[in-house]
Amino acid sequence: MAFPNMLYGRVLKSPHAHARVRSIDVSKAEKMGAVTITPDEIPDVTYCPRLVSVPEATYKDWKVLADKPHYVGEAIGAVAAESEEEAQKALEAIEVEYDVLGASFDAFDAMKPGAEQVHDEIYLKDDLLKVENNIGCQLSITEGDPIALEEADVVIERTYRTNRRYHNQLETKSVVVRPEADGGISVWSTTQTIHNTRLLLHDIYGIPMGKIRVYKVALGGSFGSSIHVNPVVTIAVALALKSRRPVKLSYTREEDIRDHCAYQMIFKLKLGANKNGMLAGGRLEAYLDIGAHQIQAYPLLGCIVGWWVSLYKLPYKDYVGKAVYTNKVPSCAFRGYGNPQISWVVETMMDELAGKIDIDPLDFRLKNYIGEGDLFWGQGPSVKSIIQSCGVEEILTKGAEMVDWYNRPNPEEQTGRYRRGWGVGRGYHTSSAGAPVPSSIVDFGGAILKMNEDGTFDYISALMDHGCGTQEAHVKIIAEELQVPVNKVNIIRGDTGTTVYDVCTHASRGVYSGGGAALKVAMKVQEQIRSFAGRILDAYPHAVRIRYDEETDQTIIFAEGIEGREVSYREIAETARHKNWGTVASVESYRQPSCPPHFTGYFVNVEVDTWTGKVKLLRVVAGADIGTVINPLLAAGQVHGGFAQGWSMTTLEDMPYDPIDGDLVNRGSIANYKVPTTQDLLDVDDLTVFFADTYEPTGPFGAKGIGEGALNPVAGTVANAIQNALGVRFFQLPITPIRILEALKEKEE
Amino acid sequence: MSINKVNTHIIPMEFQYHAPTTLAEASALLEKYGDEAKILAGGTDLIPHMKQRKVEATHVINIKKIPELACIKETSKGIEIGANTKLRAIELSPLIKEKTPLLSEAAATVGSVQIRNLGTVGGNICNASPSADMATPLLALDTVVNVYNREGSKDYTLEEFLHGRGEVKLEPGELLTGMTIPLQPKNAGMAFEKVGWTTFDIATVNVAAVLTLKDGKIDHCRVTLGACSPAPVRVYQAESILIGEEPTQELFDEAVYLIAACVEPRESWRRAPPEYRRKASQALAIDALTRSIEKARRLA
Ligand SMILES: Cc1cc2nc3c(=O)[nH]c(=O)nc-3n(C[C@H](O)[C@H](O)[C@H](O)COP(=O)(O)OP(=O)(O)OC[C@H]3O[C@@H](n4cnc5c(N)ncnc54)[C@H](O)[C@@H]3O)c2cc1C
Repeated sequence: MAFPNMLYGRVLKSPHAHARVRSIDVSKAEKMGAVTITPDEIPDVTYCPRLVSVPEATYKDWKVLADKPHYVGEAIGAVAAESEEEAQKALEAIEVEYDVLGASFDAFDAMKPGAEQVHDEIYLKDDLLKVENNIGCQLSITEGDPIALEEADVVIERTYRTNRRYHNQLETKSVVVRPEADGGISVWSTTQTIHNTRLLLHDIYGIPMGKIRVYKVALGGSFGSSIHVNPVVTIAVALALKSRRPVKLSYTREEDIRDHCAYQMIFKLKLGANKNGMLAGGRLEAYLDIGAHQIQAYPLLGCIVGWWVSLYKLPYKDYVGKAVYTNKVPSCAFRGYGNPQISWVVETMMDELAGKIDIDPLDFRLKNYIGEGDLFWGQGPSVKSIIQSCGVEEILTKGAEMVDWYNRPNPEEQTGRYRRGWGVGRGYHTSSAGAPVPSSIVDFGGAILKMNEDGTFDYISALMDHGCGTQEAHVKIIAEELQVPVNKVNIIRGDTGTTVYDVCTHASRGVYSGGGAALKVAMKVQEQIRSFAGRILDAYPHAVRIRYDEETDQTIIFAEGIEGREVSYREIAETARHKNWGTVASVESYRQPSCPPHFTGYFVNVEVDTWTGKVKLLRVVAGADIGTVINPLLAAGQVHGGFAQGWSMTTLEDMPYDPIDGDLVNRGSIANYKVPTTQDLLDVDDLTVFFADTYEPTGPFGAKGIGEGALNPVAGTVANAIQNALGVRFFQLPITPIRILEALKEKEE
Repeated sequence: MSINKVNTHIIPMEFQYHAPTTLAEASALLEKYGDEAKILAGGTDLIPHMKQRKVEATHVINIKKIPELACIKETSKGIEIGANTKLRAIELSPLIKEKTPLLSEAAATVGSVQIRNLGTVGGNICNASPSADMATPLLALDTVVNVYNREGSKDYTLEEFLHGRGEVKLEPGELLTGMTIPLQPKNAGMAFEKVGWTTFDIATVNVAAVLTLKDGKIDHCRVTLGACSPAPVRVYQAESILIGEEPTQELFDEAVYLIAACVEPRESWRRAPPEYRRKASQALAIDALTRSIEKARRLA
């Protein structure tokens, strides 16, 4: 994207993990012709860039530019110049003096008494809070009688450590901001939510909302990294307002890697089971190493307990979650929002427990899973609904049959260099954060649908499509309701000025929630079409019927059995215009009454080379219960992608820090951050995806989500397969060749 | 303040671009600009290095317009490969597949098809990376490199040329023009093995083996190891215990032990600790030896 007269921005980043900026001298950069901004030129607003929860649950500790940077890479200034090269030169000419402060790179170090505080004070809504022991926020919940756990026949307690992962989305965070003559701004950015972008920019810069136009931009993927408004956006606005020229700011990959990552979590889990194969209870401590800022870690603490207690029935559950500040890149949502992490832990321990009480791990899961009629915590303790559709049993039994599960190898029997194993794992994710009562999480969307004068339709929605075909699914839903071919429904690319509010494309809510809104407007439009048709045909609107006529390529409304009483959509639209009846159109907001889980299950077969530690994929069978499957190929594609991301999480990805200089060990280099290519996975024919035969009563035409459920069980499944091959369990991710060889050596000794 | 400097997107410094069409011209430019000049072949190493500011060249000399530098041909001395030959061409060349299949195997493991379509064999060697995937097999083939110098050309063995100090043996005004791979014994079995974290990855360890069998005993033998020391090395100790012996499991175990002993740990290793490299080099060496023996048996 480019506009005439556009400048290119570059961001000045802190080379220190924690420091106070003593002075910034931009005079040389300005002499070179660059426009510069420094912290004292920005409105002094402390905010949270993620606006998905209500203010009462939102902790705020961000500034557009930091005068006290808290991690290597935090923005402290910025420049704009005629080209990216000139901007880079100007950036290098800025002189900064720092007072370097102490820093922590580990959550447990940060909680120690006397550790340097990343933030002394933060805000909860508008109230100032003092931070103690670097704990940004916490949550605890207990239900049931602890005796159940204490008296369980078998109890296992372990500590698990997940990896720090980078989203690795296709395009780096980028934005173009154009100042407008009326004092407003137009914004094109790689966001998952145009309306929340507008909200935040209004909060920071005080521009009236109607003068902030945020436009939808096609995305190549985001995976949760732009639910919040990325720093590039807030910074580019300041540059554009100061220079009065359009500014483009596009992060390099090195900057992007130091901009966002998934939450690294350390779990202490205790689970008990009885000899009858039933779980007795559990206790979970979750420590989130959130990095230097909160991007709504508080709702995540709720989600983690929700994901945990909704996997299996636990008569007793006790949870404490703490979000701990460290001097690292701030963590944000990443596909699954903590669910891949906790599911890895639970699915690993379920296998271990099954071994202890001598029950097949698959049977153990079937005995304890939470399914139809059970209470489900969709997004933590404040978002609950009753499960109305469930394909868990179908997924597990059908998958087991397909892979001949009960004849899988016994790990203790294998010797030799190459060892094979099968693993099973299951999981789910919520589809949206809908629920029968309001919660601390905002979840509603909206849509506009209008009939054009030729009988075709324009569909306008704020909901972002990240390349998943979400809007295409909406079109199918509308087309189904109105009985038209999909090519009669146009997607209009809107902006905040032309759409009604939609919270965000996240939480696997695109089809379920967004599609729900699309269905609602389609139903309203159909009602109006019936009413106009009734007038034309002298028939009762509720009695007329609708059919598509292939020959004329028209949808016809007709009074069944009565000769000559039929009229096409086109004729209705024309008549409405000629007779001045008005436009058939509907604008609606919609809140889903439920947060139905979409269930998934995986069976994975691996081969481990015990000499190099490399793990090869042999076969994957994946079952998914997503209700009605609206886009079969794209839904299967979500499973393929979810599996690939999960495989990568299990075997490859991590971002350790160098405690000497506080920077990432990989130094922001994508070449040092490995993810698998298609060649590292398996032949597509060896990955079978099947869908359970279910119907979600609250979903549009019975549909639920798939995006996140496709990923959540993968790490647990792969880890179980590796265990089945080697007889070794891993309590730290990723399970790299290096760690495999070390573990095998330890086992030998 | 490298965080504000280093990236793989912007080259903020100015440089002059040259595109000589003859070796003499190229050499004159190199001599004239000395340390300020850098040769550009495929650019898959050089351009990222310039963006990362590891290299700050003010003169970039593209040698791809010199036609004779890209070739694969058979001569009386063996196979000649021009420095500018693309890795993809080496991977797919019928001649190389027939005479030195080891090189196609190795070339096929470099990066991705896109990288191999750009990257050249000369660049792979002159970049002097310890993990260069072409250097290890070329070393096992007794390759002689050809260097252009205005006074005439020079030949070095690849071993001399690499010499393991993070740079190759080139004087000001010199450039690599190509390499000659001496004719290999007809019945030579050869294999290349590599372990990296993904197919796109550079080597954590790579190993090449070339050997022949005579009366059931190993006759000619080369074993080379890459990514485990400042430059790929020939493992003479392993070769000498293999030569003259019947290939048995015990013999291989002894040989790969010597190969693993060549792992020279470096402070800067971030990819894998020495222990892993030792283990993996043994595994790869067993694989390379086993596969070359199988092939040699078929050819014998
Ligand atoms: C994503 C990616 C993946 C990669 N994967 C691998 C891999 O798996 N294995 C591997 O070995 N490498 C890998 N590389 C590195 C690189 O692609 C190879 O080393 C390639 O062969 C370099 O060749 P080039 O022609 O691009 O070299 P260039 O970048 O053009 O040059 C490299 C260096 O050699 C010098 N040079 C080039 N030609 C000559 C000459 N004729 N005489 C004197 N000096 C010369 C240049 O000045 C420069 O210093 C990868 C690179 C990338 C970006």
